[in-house]
Order: sequence, then structure tokens, then C-alpha cells
Amino acid sequence: MALLEVEGLVVRFRTHEGTIYAVNGVSFHVDDGETLGLVGESGCGKSVTSLAVMRLLPRPAGHVEGGRVRLDGTELLDLTEAEMRDLRGREVAMIFQDPMTSLNPVLTIHEQMVETIRAHTQMTAEQATARAVELLGMVGIPHPETRLKAFPHEFSGGMRQRVMIAMALALHPRLLIADEPTTALDVTIQAQVLELLRALTAESGTAVILITHDLGVVAGMTRRINVMYAGYIVETATTAELFAHPSHPYTVGLLHSIPRLDAVEGEPLIPIEGVPPDQRRAPVGCPFAPRCAWRLAACWTTNPPLESLVPGMPVVLTGDRATHRIACLNPPTPDETAAGMPSRPGFVAAPAPGSAVDELATAEIVQ
Amino acid sequence: MTAPTIAVTRPVPQRASRGLWRDAGRRLLRNGPALIGMTCILVFVVGAVLAPFLTPYDPSIGQLADARQTPSLTHLMGTDLLGRDEFTRVLYGARLSLQLGVISVFFGLLFGILIGASAGGLGGKVDALLMRIVDVLLAVPGILLAIGIIAWLGRGNIQIMLAVGVSYTPIFARLLRGSLLALRETDYVIAARSIGASRLRILVRHMLPNAVTPLIVQATLALATAIIDVAGLGFLGLGPGDPRVAEWGEMLTDSARFLQYAPYLIFFPAAAIVISAIGFNLVGDGLREALDPRLRH
Repeated sequence: MALLEVEGLVVRFRTHEGTIYAVNGVSFHVDDGETLGLVGESGCGKSVTSLAVMRLLPRPAGHVEGGRVRLDGTELLDLTEAEMRDLRGREVAMIFQDPMTSLNPVLTIHEQMVETIRAHTQMTAEQATARAVELLGMVGIPHPETRLKAFPHEFSGGMRQRVMIAMALALHPRLLIADEPTTALDVTIQAQVLELLRALTAESGTAVILITHDLGVVAGMTRRINVMYAGYIVETATTAELFAHPSHPYTVGLLHSIPRLDAVEGEPLIPIEGVPPDQRRAPVGCPFAPRCAWRLAACWTTNPPLESLVPGMPVVLTGDRATHRIACLNPPTPDETAAGMPSRPGFVAAPAPGSAVDELATAEIVQ
Repeated sequence: MTAPTIAVTRPVPQRASRGLWRDAGRRLLRNGPALIGMTCILVFVVGAVLAPFLTPYDPSIGQLADARQTPSLTHLMGTDLLGRDEFTRVLYGARLSLQLGVISVFFGLLFGILIGASAGGLGGKVDALLMRIVDVLLAVPGILLAIGIIAWLGRGNIQIMLAVGVSYTPIFARLLRGSLLALRETDYVIAARSIGASRLRILVRHMLPNAVTPLIVQATLALATAIIDVAGLGFLGLGPGDPRVAEWGEMLTDSARFLQYAPYLIFFPAAAIVISAIGFNLVGDGLREALDPRLRH
């Protein structure tokens, strides 16, 4: 049994403009101590998935409308708010994107850390303070005893994120969700914070879900990667396998839109044309079809499930032997993957049925 | 390896921040209008506190023979139609007005915080119900509401404080609820929830301290209108109920009939009302600027 099992998770937001189809049936598993990357562009449902796991979706708009989330066998979606609160911080913790806003500006670091520790343990104030000092030292904050009394605005962004990491790991959670933990930081600080996160979680055996849009970050940090697009997982594989053999047209497109050091000089980047689909519409067909160079006529109407790249193989969900799976009717060949575009003679991406072409065109104009 | 550095500008020494309130206090003292406002209030506070030492007269006893004297050295602001010293009555009136104003705003804050915090903190049906009640209260003009409450509870100082306080409650409640709603979606509140902090703890420790700033500004501004409202109630004959007590509003009513003969009798209490109200207004505006993080440098 995996530590975290998410199955068929569906999250929708009810807003005044209608329903937002944020997450449309996402399944993944995370083993104890495993690091999983959740990659995709803004709005693809990465953060919503993690907030749904934490049961922290903004209310009353956000709803989990289907699926199951099991942590160590406990069905999280069935817990009462009080039971869930007891679990948060102790079993599963979270680090947020912007360290500048995720600490309360009017409370000292001491107040915020000791509060967290004491909310879940029987420690006395002195014990909790000692633990907080120890944690701050562990995340590399100099003079932790004096810095503990400081307010958040007296820390730099990188230091604040270290404090957030210290708070998240204070109670030895078994799963840590890091939602773009370094996006708001300078590149040099990014590397330090990521290394710290890696070292601390490896030491304590904490499983990590690392959410990011930065493929460079996941490459160095994770064992497995889920690529998300428009509320679906479109490709999943071990990190090494994914970078060696990217197989979904979207993943191929992502990798080709990043400049590479080993690229031939003057070789152009290949951007993914178009924009992500409007998630205010119920999804029909493959969500990537409108932007895909490999699309078939069937792609407009059929959304294929995640299936093993090599048919007939038993599917391994977690670990180093996890099966490489993609959701695609017409995966690129290795040559096409390398080129970043279809090279089969005479192949033309299937035109949209009916008005869909106009929809795509207007979507681009509106953007 | 040492990187070449180019000093373009001399580094500005970073002034150590000593906390929000001390910084705000320093900015307030550098704000001209706010200083004027504070001076006005200070004059009235000192006058009210030291009234027995500043004037030899009694505010409720006068010599009928001395009635309606024009301002002179013996009676700085003249005497009223019962021969009482006007200056003494304005000073003692300041006592009552400041007292009633401050306490009624305090009542308003108390009720407003209770309602606003319950609505913003609990949300859902509690929020909907409380806010509809507040909407109803807001729909009734404040002074009318106050008159209604006094008509119901009878005349007296405590009734005035409650009446004016209740008429401010919906303003504070709305303001606090709005701040709390905005804070509910902030990163640090979600972060606090993500580590399992309880609802009450988040409300009391994380949200309320961040929501008090606008309340303080609004309360200071409300002091200005509270003083006017108290005087207004007095003017309408719903003052403390004891004709011997000096109250600015009642002083206006009493002198209005003699406007043609003794205009100074209406001038001084009116000026006292206006100056104290402007004083609180200026301080309130100054506080708003001093506490606004966007204006901080």
C-alpha cells in the first residue's frame, strides 16, 4: 500500500461565471520517502490537486466532486474537519509558493513556530521553544536563538522559506507537499533551498510532492514525475525515463520550449502554439488536441486514459520501476520527439470538427 | 575571487524598524494636520480634566443678576440666560462630551467586533444572518436609531452611550467582517491551516491582529461624529436629562432663542463641537496615513 493514493480525483469550482473544471480525474500514488514531481503550466491543476489532498480548497467555491484520497489507508475526504486538522502538520504538511506572504506579519517567528509545535504535541512552552531553535538551526538560520524573536519582515525571502520548511517539518510529517517552493526566490537561493529540502526530507524519510512548472527543478529533485495538462495527468514516468524518452506531445513540446546548453547554435526553440483550453467548459476529447501537432481526428472526441507505453506490461505505480504511461492516441516516434515535430510523410494534424477551429482562433485573439 | 563592485549611490543606512506601532507613531508626529488635530484634542482633554482649577465658577450655579453678559475679563465667554459662566460650562461640557463620545465609540467597537468577528470568523449561515441584521441597522439613519433607542430606554448618560454606540455597531461590524473575509484567503492563513491550527486560534491569533488597523482608524473618525451625535441628541432635547448639567448640545438649544441678543452664547459651544470634531477627524486621517503600508517608506 502506498503512502498516498489519489484515485480519480475530480475538483470543480462553482463561480459566478460558471463551473471551472480544474481537476478532471487524476490518479497517482506516492510511496513512503518517495519524491514525486507534479509538472505543468499555470492553471493546469497542480496546486488545486495538492490543496484538495490537504482539504484546503477555497470554500465555498471549490468542491471535490469525485475520487478518493487515501493517506496511509485513511480516506481523507471522509474525515471531519477536526480530524483533518489533527492530521495536517502531523502527517502531511505543505510549503507554499511565496514565503513573503505565507508567514503572519504581526507575529514573531517564535510565536508562529511554537504555536505549530504545541498544537499537536504535549510539549511545554520551553520544550517547544527549544525544538524551534533546533529546527531553525537545522534549516541553516544563523543565531537561531535571537532570530526566533524576530518578525517575518526582518528575514529575506530565502530565509523565510527556510523558516517555512522548518515549520513544515517540525512534526515529522510523512508527506510534504511543496507548492512551487522556490519560484519566488533568486536562482542562487533556489538551489540552496532545494538542496536543503532534499537533504532534510531524505534524512527523515519524508515523502515529497514537488509542484513546479520548472523542469530543471524536478530533474534534480524527484524520482518520478507526473506531467499535468488542463486538469489531467498526461504522462507519468520515472524522472530519468521521462527526460530520456518524453512521449506525450505536450511533454515533448515542453522540453523543446526550454533552451538547452547542448543545442546547436542558432537552433530555434519550438514553442507550443496556442493557449491552454478554457477550463470553464466541460472537457471534450483530448485537452491538448487543439495545440497538438500529432492530433488525429479521434483526438477531438476521445480522451485516452493513461496507459503503459509498452502494451501488455504489468503497471507499476510507484518507485524506481514505475511504468512509463501516457494518455495519447498518436504518440510521437523517437525521431519526431528529437525533432519536436511530426516527420511522417504526408501527416497533417486533423482539423477540428465544425466550429472548433473558430473557437481556437477566437481564443487566441482574446488572449 | 572578488567580484568588481561599482558603488553607484552611497548605501542608504537602513533605519531599523521598531514595530508597526512605533513606526506609525513616528509618522503621525511628522504629519502636520494630525499634529494640529492632536493639539485640539489635547486642549479639550486638559480643559476637561483641569476644569475646576481653570475657572472659579460652578457650571450649574449662576447669579440671575449676571445673566446674558457679553464676554469680558471676569466672564471670558460671557454668561448664559441664567447667569452661569459660559466658559466654565464649555469646559465642563467638554468633560461630558469627551466621556460620552469615547464610551459610546467603545460600545460600538465592542458590539461591532463581536458581530464582525462572529460573522467573518464563522462564515456561512451565521455570517448571512448577522449581516442581514447589520444591513437593517445600516438602513436606518444613525441619529434616528439613537433617538429610537433613547425613546425606548429613557434619558440618561448610559442610554446616550448605548444609543450612539449601537448606531456605530454596524459600521464596525461590516468593516471587521470585510477585513476578515479578505484575510481568510491570505497565504499565511492557509499556511496556518495547512499545519493544523484550529479555527478559533486562526481567528484570534492570525486574523484579528491583522484586521484591527482599519478599525482603529475608523474608531478615531467615529469619535468625531460621536461628539456631534451626542451634541445633536442634546440639541433635540434628548441629552442627559438634568438641566443643570453642562452639555454642548443643550447649551445650543438653550441659547438658540436668544440668537439675536446674545449670539456669542451659541458661538462658543458650537465652536467647541466643531473644533473637537475636526481634531478627531485630523488625527483619524493622520492615523490612516501612518498605518497604510503602501505609504510607508
